[in-house]
Amino acid sequence: MGATTQREGSGGGLRRLVHEVRELALGEQTSYASGRLTVSLQAARALVADPALAAVRLACAAPDELVRIVGALDAVQPCTKGPGGGGVFPGFVGPALPPGRGETHVLRGAAVLAAGYLPRAQEAVIDMSGPAAPLSPLATTQNLVIEFERADGASWEDVEAALRRGLLRVAVHLADAALEAEPDAVEVLPEPDAGPAGLPRVAVVTNLQTQGKFKDVFVYGRSMSGGLPTVISPNELDDGAVVSGQYGHPALKNPTYLHQTHPVVAALRARDDLCLAALVLCPEPVEQGAKELVSAHAARLCAGLGIDAAILTKEGGGNADADVALKMDLLEEEGIAAVGIFAEMAGRDGTGPPLVVAPTRATAMVSVGNYDERLSLPACERALGRDRVALLDRPATDALELPAAAIYSALSPLGWGRLTCHEAA
Amino acid sequence: MSIALRVGAPRIVPTRGIPYPTGDPELSPEQERAWRRQLLERALHAVATPVSEPTVFGGDPVE
Amino acid sequence: MRVVHYLNQFFAGVGGEDAAGTGPELRDGPVGPGRKLAALLGDEHEIVATAVCGDDHAATHADFAAALVEQARARGAELLIAGPAFTSGRYGLACARIATAAAEAGLPALAAMHPDNPGLAEAAGTSVIESAETARGMGPSLERLAAAARKVASGEELSIQDGRVGPVPRANRMAERSAAVRAVDLVVARLGGDREATEIPLPAFDQVTPAAPIADPADALLALLTEGGFVPVGNPDRLESARATKWIRHSLDGHDSAEAGTFESVHGGFSTQWANAEPNRILPLDAARELEREGAIGGLHNEYFATTGNGTTVADARRFGVEWAAELRQAGIQAAILTAT
Repeated sequence: MGATTQREGSGGGLRRLVHEVRELALGEQTSYASGRLTVSLQAARALVADPALAAVRLACAAPDELVRIVGALDAVQPCTKGPGGGGVFPGFVGPALPPGRGETHVLRGAAVLAAGYLPRAQEAVIDMSGPAAPLSPLATTQNLVIEFERADGASWEDVEAALRRGLLRVAVHLADAALEAEPDAVEVLPEPDAGPAGLPRVAVVTNLQTQGKFKDVFVYGRSMSGGLPTVISPNELDDGAVVSGQYGHPALKNPTYLHQTHPVVAALRARDDLCLAALVLCPEPVEQGAKELVSAHAARLCAGLGIDAAILTKEGGGNADADVALKMDLLEEEGIAAVGIFAEMAGRDGTGPPLVVAPTRATAMVSVGNYDERLSLPACERALGRDRVALLDRPATDALELPAAAIYSALSPLGWGRLTCHEAA
Repeated sequence: MSIALRVGAPRIVPTRGIPYPTGDPELSPEQERAWRRQLLERALHAVATPVSEPTVFGGDPVE
Repeated sequence: MRVVHYLNQFFAGVGGEDAAGTGPELRDGPVGPGRKLAALLGDEHEIVATAVCGDDHAATHADFAAALVEQARARGAELLIAGPAFTSGRYGLACARIATAAAEAGLPALAAMHPDNPGLAEAAGTSVIESAETARGMGPSLERLAAAARKVASGEELSIQDGRVGPVPRANRMAERSAAVRAVDLVVARLGGDREATEIPLPAFDQVTPAAPIADPADALLALLTEGGFVPVGNPDRLESARATKWIRHSLDGHDSAEAGTFESVHGGFSTQWANAEPNRILPLDAARELEREGAIGGLHNEYFATTGNGTTVADARRFGVEWAAELRQAGIQAAILTAT
């Protein structure tokens, strides 16, 4: 802990050293070699240990296994810049300073998750196989699942904070095991603005939920509640500058893992006919006046940065639609093309109005699917996190009928998924 | 109010705050009652006025 | 097929607005425009009965549809056709409800109304065929309806070509590429000048025909309405704080003001401290009584209606509006003030 970040003069940019993980198992020592990640039960438990937590258990869940994770909370991609982290997860593991430069090792194909009961956490389900598997990004990763109980007398806030610290520390610990390994790939992420002139400048505007306990998202370890939008380098996301403490709306969840791997940022980076010009992070206030101020300020920021087009992502349900809709309209007023990513809430049969609050002037919207449509999940062999699905009052290993709304990140507005809506017949 | 316009409400009288549509906690009780009465009078004027599309019967800078 | 045709009191010849309160009944054979419909349906199909209900009754009694559907089935109905309701809101709502109730009971059904009819939003789970705007277009509307009914009877799907309107279900499917990639594609399309491209169609602005103005407020009976979750303290009717599925009514007799401690707001969408300290801030009863005493209005209705406007579905909100209008008209009210939060 506390290793210095590497700076190269006034330049920025990040080199991402990718280590693929194809197998995950518990063992004596934590090690990584040739795609196989072994986790020391003892070491991991020690990193999670906290007076607020009792009965911490670890388990592995791999893609295609007949395993169901119930009550998934946050998920984190293992990353590190040096032994102990070297500055990743600022404000939690590393010091609260902007990361995102130098080199970062990531274990691609692995994730550390916490699963269990927290108040205000709607039960999120991840099926590692079956019809619900393609819907969740965490069904594609080798998962180290941390289960827990609340220690006697501990407050739930302390439990949640302890879980977060534990998850992030374990994530660093796992990535540290790959520090000496030859990376499978090296990806160079230039700073925004470093691209050739003349390309359309596209901003990503990412709204973060800021509703207090168990419904907050942290930037450099701090909540953006009550604040104004800010601009950070997209490269800071890789180093865990944004950490999720939000557990509502399972399908709409943007876990830390998806902030780290921000799909929209990645999609923009993949194009050479567009320039990823900026990442704007905004709080999502509940109050109308604050929504209008934050949205207007975000639009001004984009205009000031010479942005030509913006892609907007959000977090939360219908209330959060308003923040996106407001921004889209204000951006269009500034002459900036706005594209919003929305989840639809069209009811069980898909005939209700898709959005609670739609933009009035802007029109370009991407759909990540209908929240309310039902899925039939088959019975599975093993369940992690919780042993009953409270929503249905059934054992977690049973065959279950659930709405898409219950599947972890199935409709994440960060755009990972291929789920969408079309007009049926 | 934008929602009222969007859903096509033909006669709209703007007020001062979501948590108190026919009130204003900033005013003294007497002033507030008087203001509320004026609001209703404006509403009565609105229902007695022919309109052909969503119309705001304003007067207060609001929202 | 044996067909049952649904009409409102006007088209069934019972009467006009004065008969809007008549209850449901089933009559033999085709009635009114049903005769033309029967002729258009041809020899293979027979309208064995006509279901009739007054528009106000239908709007205020949730069970009217189920009762009629049961009677229809007892007559051996194999298909139910409702309308055409043109732009008549309560009639359209009734058609939507009876067609949906029939479909839910396993009886194929379709309704006909103009696309602007508010009943259209409630026609999920059933097919609606476009009709003309007014009864002047009855002829062509019936022709289109009959053609669609014949298709339904032979088990065929209806499409836009048949005049199908209304909520088209949106279903989930897996796209080839992620939403993020598609968002970037949409950006490129927009920058290239394409202002139409979108995966979610924008909801249309609603068209509401304004009611004619009242002649003189001093003669008018006025009702107070609210979506501010305004209830007697303790919320005896259990009005929801969010996603309300119902509305409540309560007497205002004996109240000259909305007193704190007697009334409160259960709205979950804002802090209710100011409302509960002074409930007249939600339902302006004190001011309304003042106007009543002074003769500025003819009188104040002895009830108020309330719901909670917090995540209410558009369909439910529309339904409440139609039901409130029907109730108030039956009570002889000329004007209403709705406070919105």
